[in-house]
Amino acid sequence: MKLLKFFMVLLAFTTNQSYSQNVSKDEMVKNFVQIIGDEIIDVAKNKKLTEVQKKQQIIKLIDKSTDANWIGRFVLGKYFKTATVEQKNTFMSYYREFMINTYGPKFNSYDGKKFTVNSVEKQSNFFLVKSEFVPQNSDVVVFFNFRVKENEGNFLIIDFIAEGVSLIETQRSEFNSSINEQGMDKFLENLKIRIDELKLQNSKATPKKAKK
Amino acid sequence: MINNKFFFFISALFVSMFFSNIAIANDDEFKEFETAIIKGSIDDPFEKYNRKIYKFNDTIDKYFFEHLARSYRKTIPKPARVSFRNFLDNLSLPLSALNSFAQGKLDNGLTTFSTFLINSTIGVGGFIDVARKKGLDYEREDFGQTLGYWGFSSDNFLMLPFFGPSNLRDFVGFSVDRTVDPLGFNVLQIGGDTNFIDGSKRIFNTVFKVVDNREELLDIIDNIRQDSFDPYATIRSAYLQRRLAQIEN
Repeated sequence: MKLLKFFMVLLAFTTNQSYSQNVSKDEMVKNFVQIIGDEIIDVAKNKKLTEVQKKQQIIKLIDKSTDANWIGRFVLGKYFKTATVEQKNTFMSYYREFMINTYGPKFNSYDGKKFTVNSVEKQSNFFLVKSEFVPQNSDVVVFFNFRVKENEGNFLIIDFIAEGVSLIETQRSEFNSSINEQGMDKFLENLKIRIDELKLQNSKATPKKAKK
Repeated sequence: MINNKFFFFISALFVSMFFSNIAIANDDEFKEFETAIIKGSIDDPFEKYNRKIYKFNDTIDKYFFEHLARSYRKTIPKPARVSFRNFLDNLSLPLSALNSFAQGKLDNGLTTFSTFLINSTIGVGGFIDVARKKGLDYEREDFGQTLGYWGFSSDNFLMLPFFGPSNLRDFVGFSVDRTVDPLGFNVLQIGGDTNFIDGSKRIFNTVFKVVDNREELLDIIDNIRQDSFDPYATIRSAYLQRRLAQIEN
């Protein structure tokens, strides 16, 4: 009887502990995404910064909060297995630069009124974070989700989903189709050219386009 | 000496086992991620022809529709464009409600129909989206989604001339919607009159919808053209993912 009580207490203790661990982890993920979102909005809103300074600061924020290695491997898809070690290494070093320089400046216009993380849900080995954003000149709420993974106690973003479209899944399809068409070496060559173009663009102010 | 050798051998064995386990665990963990993230496969048996049609559409778009959409954006102020979009959206709500009912989504169907009634009356013929401002939120449904809901797969990706990305299921869905729509061909004679709106107004409605849709997509298509190494593959993947998300909503 004593033994049964002991096991019941032990079970209650371990169940409760794992529950509280999960709850706090969800909360930690929520805070992580909320802080990154707020930081991006703060930079985008900051009138003291020039457009180029904003771009560079947001690129740094994206760089520190995303797992470029993981995403790089994912978007390489089936070619991760067939690429040589040299090709893989080159791709991984290029991909990080490509990603931050492509997507970082796009957040430049996120000078919204409010960014709110609504919920965190554990799915497989990652967290699905549902959030909403209210743009500056509109009351229409924009919903988007993030996928976040834990890496040695830190959280990193691995995907951005808008209107049900996953950024990494789309890019995987695009990269695989492009590698299939032109071969890995040519693709890497083009990726390098694109990175150089992006870096040049990001060091200058964007030319004015038609109003939105 | 023998003991030392044995010790080194055992240590090396453990170290190699440890690292190989990490590699396997990482691969397994990665596979688990991949399986969870990738929901559907891409089935594109007509890719060769689809790419040719995409090229054709892209050329027509660059020389005609894009210019039309940019001029529309440049000349019509944003509040007016939003009102016109509300008006066009409102016209499509009865059909959306019917598709909701066909999927057994009673709540969404009633909300959609209520939105139509409120916006058509208090919202001045649909120009003001009063219902959404008051918190009525609905998911838009079409017959392609209804077919998807009842198990029709999204096989055979299609790039349609002028209309863009689709698949066999959605193409059938689109044709049925246009045939049944009171503002389309109205074959069910909803309202008792096959000429619910006359031919010229129907054409005007369609042209206006095309310009409005293209204006809405201006920034997205600009981004795809600028960023993608293969815009066809990007559009195909985004279209299939979005439709799957709309069916699963």
